[in-house]
Amino acid sequence: MPKNTEGQDIVSIQNVIKEYHLDKVVVPALRGVSLSVEAGDFLSIVGPSGSGKTTLLNLIGCVDVATSGTVLIDGHDTKSLNDRQLTDLRLNTLGFIFQSFNLVPVLSVFQNVEFPLLLQRKFTKEERAKRVDELLEKVGLDKHTQHRPSELSGGQRQRVAIARALVTRPKIVLADEPTANLDSVTGENIIDLMKEMNRVEKTTFIFSTHDAKVMSHANSVIRLADGKITDGKGAKAGAH
Amino acid sequence: MSQLFLIAFRNLVSHGRRSLFLGGAIAGVTTLLVFLGCLSSGVKQTMLESALTVATGDMNVGGYYKVTAGQSAPLVTDYKKVQEIIQKTLPDLDFVTARGRGWARLVSDQASMQVGIAGVDMAHEPRLPQVLKLKEGNLQDLAKPGNVLIFENQAKKLKVKAGDSLVFSVLTDRGVNNTVDVKVCGVAEDMGLLTTFNVFLPQETLNKLDQTNESTTGAVLIYLKNRRRIPQDVDLLRKALTGAGYNVVDRSSKAFWMKMQEVNKEEWTGQKLDVTSWDDEISYVTWTLSAIDGLSFLLTTVLLVIIAVGIMNSLWIAIRERTREIGTLRAIGMRRWRVMVMFVLEAFCLGVLGTAAGAVLGSFLALILNAMHLPVPAGIQFFTMSTTLKFALDPARILGGMAIITFCCTVISLIPSFKAARMRPVTAISHVG
Ligand SMILES: Nc1ncnc2c1ncn2[C@@H]1O[C@H](COP(=O)(O)OP(=O)(O)O)[C@@H](O)[C@H]1O
Ligand SMILES: [Mg+2]
Repeated sequence: MPKNTEGQDIVSIQNVIKEYHLDKVVVPALRGVSLSVEAGDFLSIVGPSGSGKTTLLNLIGCVDVATSGTVLIDGHDTKSLNDRQLTDLRLNTLGFIFQSFNLVPVLSVFQNVEFPLLLQRKFTKEERAKRVDELLEKVGLDKHTQHRPSELSGGQRQRVAIARALVTRPKIVLADEPTANLDSVTGENIIDLMKEMNRVEKTTFIFSTHDAKVMSHANSVIRLADGKITDGKGAKAGAH
Repeated sequence: MSQLFLIAFRNLVSHGRRSLFLGGAIAGVTTLLVFLGCLSSGVKQTMLESALTVATGDMNVGGYYKVTAGQSAPLVTDYKKVQEIIQKTLPDLDFVTARGRGWARLVSDQASMQVGIAGVDMAHEPRLPQVLKLKEGNLQDLAKPGNVLIFENQAKKLKVKAGDSLVFSVLTDRGVNNTVDVKVCGVAEDMGLLTTFNVFLPQETLNKLDQTNESTTGAVLIYLKNRRRIPQDVDLLRKALTGAGYNVVDRSSKAFWMKMQEVNKEEWTGQKLDVTSWDDEISYVTWTLSAIDGLSFLLTTVLLVIIAVGIMNSLWIAIRERTREIGTLRAIGMRRWRVMVMFVLEAFCLGVLGTAAGAVLGSFLALILNAMHLPVPAGIQFFTMSTTLKFALDPARILGGMAIITFCCTVISLIPSFKAARMRPVTAISHVG
């Protein structure tokens, strides 16, 4: 398997078509998308609701497979991997931030952030604690490590989610409308935090949004409409 | 793994009512199983106790003696010789003792009843004083001819107490009524069914009543140091007796008295011996143990099926409620089998906690009822072999029951858990509700 080095494309998508089959109706969600993302990018995918943002992020996130076309993540062709290999790729290479935070409600803030490290089984208890504490301090939650998610505000929860996504030092963090459930001030703080992490940890961030203000923080922007890229770096299959 | 445990446990706690309901049901079944188990063990102990000391020994050599082909008497002639063979043959012998066997009418001023008689020689009965608990009178006097030891229930029926006189009456072969006057030297505490129709009489007095001679007895009772060797010892002794020239009836696990009718139909005359173990002798009531065990098995199975449905349902609900969580965990890199383990552990924890609570409750209930000495209705006494309900805790059995129920809970949870693990992460994450 080819491995990407610094500055090269960490995500490479070619002619991807994704169709959903609802009973006998075929719903086209992505209609020939090509796209490459450089390592270290802070990329925003924008577009109206139903334009295919979530679908595209799911393909990059290896939780779904394209109907046709190729998706290369860190050099791995996702079509050629089985469920277990995809799972391990998600664990080690990808981080996820969800619109509705999706923390494990019965675990504390600390335990939520530590969880991916436990799945990796690579670190000792001390190493894990060090990494988790360090990250929780960076996201400003070092005073809340023993709280349950339900005891936190939306903004705080999304900070926990960011820490969880970053704890394994993934190459790519995917965030599907991370600010949609937050008020605009909190939302902007979250994007600032993500950007800070992008700068400090050199992690590639790909996030979707339909908020112009949020979008303005991105290094590069891709516009989706009706399952096609209309503007941005991969816009070959675009407008005309 | 410990984190999966924590998630499972905390989810159980956070759905307190649902868990309590299911856990309560599991505890209930365990309670029932443990309770019936204690009853079964208790009855078994009582049977053993009363059978061993009152009637059968660990094993015994009985005899059928036929003067004419159609009529046998429960006699072992020249029993001293039989005792010698036993002493030579059985390596783990504790002691042997001869017991006369008789059947007579016991008559008081006010009432009468048919009783079985055990003729004893107190000089050779080291265990009897340890087991019989006297309410009145004393046991030593049973060494003297003309005394009789009866049990509480008989004293009540005959309306007599220690010191009162009774008359034994038997119809002899020649059709004459033979009677012997005796004095009640003691009244012993009831010890189960066998003591409702058995009394103890000095061998000498029994001989006088039955007009048999001293060299003859009813059976030679054998007490062993190690009861586990009984089946081997029975075979050993059969061979030894046959080798010494005795006729020994075929081995069958029936009580001595049950075989008497069969023996009467056979053509031969003279002496035949039989070697039986204590459980042969009470085989006609040991089915009650099987009945209790069968009943608890049946009840437990039925209830377990109901609980299994409950567990499945509750897990289906949990999985639907937590679909998005499953999707999230799968997305961030949790492998399928761990998702499965996460839910199976929930059922497992519920099983362990529920059965533990049930075991404690069931044991407690059994101990309390045991202490209450509940009387058994007369009609059922025959089956329980005791006059009060007795419960005994059998740790191996309780732990076994807990393990089985927990195992069932865990196994049944595999089905929904497997489905949960098979869910596609993408559908799970986008699940609403
Ligand atoms: N699971 C699905 N089944 C059927 N159609 C779907 C499914 N998910 C998305 N779609 C359709 O695919 C298109 C793109 O959806 P989506 O990727 O969710 O867009 P966005 O995230 O930009 O709102 C929409 O028309 C949507 O209705
Ligand atoms: Mg979307």
